[in-house]
Amino acid sequence: MALIELKNVSRTFGKGDERVVAVDNVSFAIDEGEVLCLVGESGCGKSTTGKIVAGLLEPTRGHVLFDGQDISKMDKESFRRYRHSVQIIHQDPYASLNPTQTVRQMITRPLLRHHKARSNEEAEKRAIELLEIVDLTPAQDFMNKYPHQLSGGQRQRVSVARALTVEPRFIVADEAVSMVDVSIRVSLLNMLSRLQDEFNVTFLFITHDLALAKYFAWEGRISVMYLGRIVEDGPTRRVVMDPRHPYTQALLAAVPEADPELARRKRRIELRSADIPSLLDLPSGCTFHPRCPYFVAGVCDGEVPPLVAIPEGGRVACPVRKDISIQLIEETPAAPAA
Amino acid sequence: MSNESQQVVLKHEAGSGTPLTLRNVSVAYKTRKGDVQAVRDVSLDLRAGESIALIGESGSGKTTLGLSIVRLLVKSAQVTNGEIIYRRNGKEIDVLGLNKKELREFRWKECSMVFQSALNAFNPVIRIWDQMKDTAQSHGWKDKKAIRQRSLELLKFVQLDAERVIDAYPHELSGGMRQRVLIALSLLLDPQVLILDEPTTALDILTQRTIIDLLRKLKEEQHFTMIFISHDLAIAAELADRIATMYAGRVVEVGSADDIFYRPRHPYTLGLIRAVPKVVGDFQELFSIPGSPPDLIDMPSGCKFHPRCPYATDKCRQEEPDLVPVGPEHMAACWHWREVEKELQSKPLHSIS
Ligand SMILES: Nc1ncnc2c1ncn2[C@@H]1O[C@H](COP(=O)(O)OP(=O)(O)OP(=O)(O)O)[C@@H](O)[C@H]1O
Ligand SMILES: Nc1ncnc2c1ncn2[C@@H]1O[C@H](COP(=O)(O)OP(=O)(O)OP(=O)(O)O)[C@@H](O)[C@H]1O
Ligand code: SF4
Ligand SMILES: [Mg+2]
Ligand SMILES: [Mg+2]
Repeated sequence: MALIELKNVSRTFGKGDERVVAVDNVSFAIDEGEVLCLVGESGCGKSTTGKIVAGLLEPTRGHVLFDGQDISKMDKESFRRYRHSVQIIHQDPYASLNPTQTVRQMITRPLLRHHKARSNEEAEKRAIELLEIVDLTPAQDFMNKYPHQLSGGQRQRVSVARALTVEPRFIVADEAVSMVDVSIRVSLLNMLSRLQDEFNVTFLFITHDLALAKYFAWEGRISVMYLGRIVEDGPTRRVVMDPRHPYTQALLAAVPEADPELARRKRRIELRSADIPSLLDLPSGCTFHPRCPYFVAGVCDGEVPPLVAIPEGGRVACPVRKDISIQLIEETPAAPAA
Repeated sequence: MSNESQQVVLKHEAGSGTPLTLRNVSVAYKTRKGDVQAVRDVSLDLRAGESIALIGESGSGKTTLGLSIVRLLVKSAQVTNGEIIYRRNGKEIDVLGLNKKELREFRWKECSMVFQSALNAFNPVIRIWDQMKDTAQSHGWKDKKAIRQRSLELLKFVQLDAERVIDAYPHELSGGMRQRVLIALSLLLDPQVLILDEPTTALDILTQRTIIDLLRKLKEEQHFTMIFISHDLAIAAELADRIATMYAGRVVEVGSADDIFYRPRHPYTLGLIRAVPKVVGDFQELFSIPGSPPDLIDMPSGCKFHPRCPYATDKCRQEEPDLVPVGPEHMAACWHWREVEKELQSKPLHSIS
């Protein structure tokens, strides 16, 4: 059974002329211990989806199921348990840590409050364990530090340790490593992966960086969002190596690669328009149709194309291209002699 | 998005020789806690028509170096040593010796800079046209029609709907459009050298791609001499002929883009490359660099990278290495670059797996 499931979830903001559908009819399920990566450009609804999953925001329509139970129908106690089981880690560790608390206070207080430790000594011991889990060692050295005495990467580790105090089964990581430098990003990602391996923590990993998504969710799945809707999902390998939706293809082709030869050989996909539609005035049918190079009048601008399963794995919301693979890298020009 | 109908006549006179030379440039910020040595002893030659990327982590001194070239450092900063020499048509200019009036000319007509996070720097109540007109007029252009002509031409060149954008207010434009306007504005007085600080950071992927392609066009068709500043290695891979890696205020390696990506000799450059994932292709293992960048007020002894370096020895802890040739047109500042070379012979950095 899925640990968390979204069934036809929509969320609107504003009223009248200002009304936007930030999340539109989104459905997915994540099994215990699985990783799902949500990718897409700014404003496509990733964080809104993440907040709905974490119970911080109510959907306007649809249902959120945790352990098979509809969270809107839970009694107080079950809802409290669910809220603790799902923790969210934000992009900006500066904003999410209280500047007046030491690391010790940030970690031992929730341990005591949530009865995960019965005494100060027990809380202290557990805090040290948690700091070790997030690779802040020697842990004793970090206990008395304030946020401003830590680097960005270290602060993010503290946020993770704090989230772990309530022994979550599910972590929503919303751009959790986007602000740290490349040289330390990998070790943060590896630490999060370890939580998944060792403690069977389930992840919704939100990022605008497709290369990061690929790395973190290689064994998991990716969902691609565009203007509030999921346009493609599937096992990471399939989505990255054999993308089908023209939007996914355009994204993968557009990402600059940290490799000059690859950059030269990567295929370009020309869009019909560079303009991103406003959520206030969405195109009919497939909302990508005004930009899509494969647009077919009458097919793409009529009904909203549903997500349809494909045999290679996952779902694609494009009736025109769902069965057609493309090459993202041009064939090697004659290989140079070794 | 091809703009066949918008053929543009923009013609940039590519210079020759070496438009810009930095010699032993050092810059420090005065702070209450002490001097921040943001740039230390940087020497670089920028050749006409080439593009060079400065890469390195946050705080490595990239922006400070860029700002010192256009003399826009804040008051608390000081160039404590070195020379910056600019050349055009056989004339040499000592940039650090320019007076206020000369500087204003220099910044628009010789060497212009598009600033990091300038996207929000537009004055919201001034239309794009007024912005361009004021800039041109303050440099002695009188003919308004000619200014408008040139402005439209540039806006078309950066692939904007020029007639519409020229009369727009900044808030009516998207981030990618504003970035394009900034690039157009920086070209207004046809400078020889263009410095772009994080030109695509904070833009969405598809928008970022249009800016990269535009910058490539400036480079390949107009032969601008350019400096890209970016913490994103991918921008360097896409756009640079040569790359300089900065660490703790110093250039620790400089070479062709291929040398830096496939034959790095400084352990820090190698570390960066091994830390960055690629999107296309099979899974690839990544490695992080242990530790974090140094405190620029109280720096480690010897090689500033030694506390994080897997190759470090006592020599590294004691003496700071100079940039030395490690190949044709390729320099690195590491005592143990030959070991890096050896390691890469057994484990090459493949381009595509
Ligand atoms: N509280 C709110 N009130 C009104 N509109 C909102 C609210 N939260 C989000 N939105 C709108 O909903 C849309 C989706 O926002 P969301 O933050 O989910 O996007 P995102 O994919 O996380 O973007 P980013 O990559 O920039 O973080 C945006 O248009 C946003 O302006
Ligand atoms: N106005 C200032 N006063 C004091 N220190 C400063 C000032 N501006 C920058 N610094 C310091 O100088 C060093 C170099 O900063 P700089 O902005 O040049 O780095 P950068 O490589 O451009 O980094 P980023 O990638 O974050 O833009 C940093 O340690 C920074 O904290
Ligand atoms: S449904 Fe049509 S418009 Fe939308 S992406 Fe597919 S082909 Fe393009
Ligand atoms: Mg978000
Ligand atoms: Mg900078």
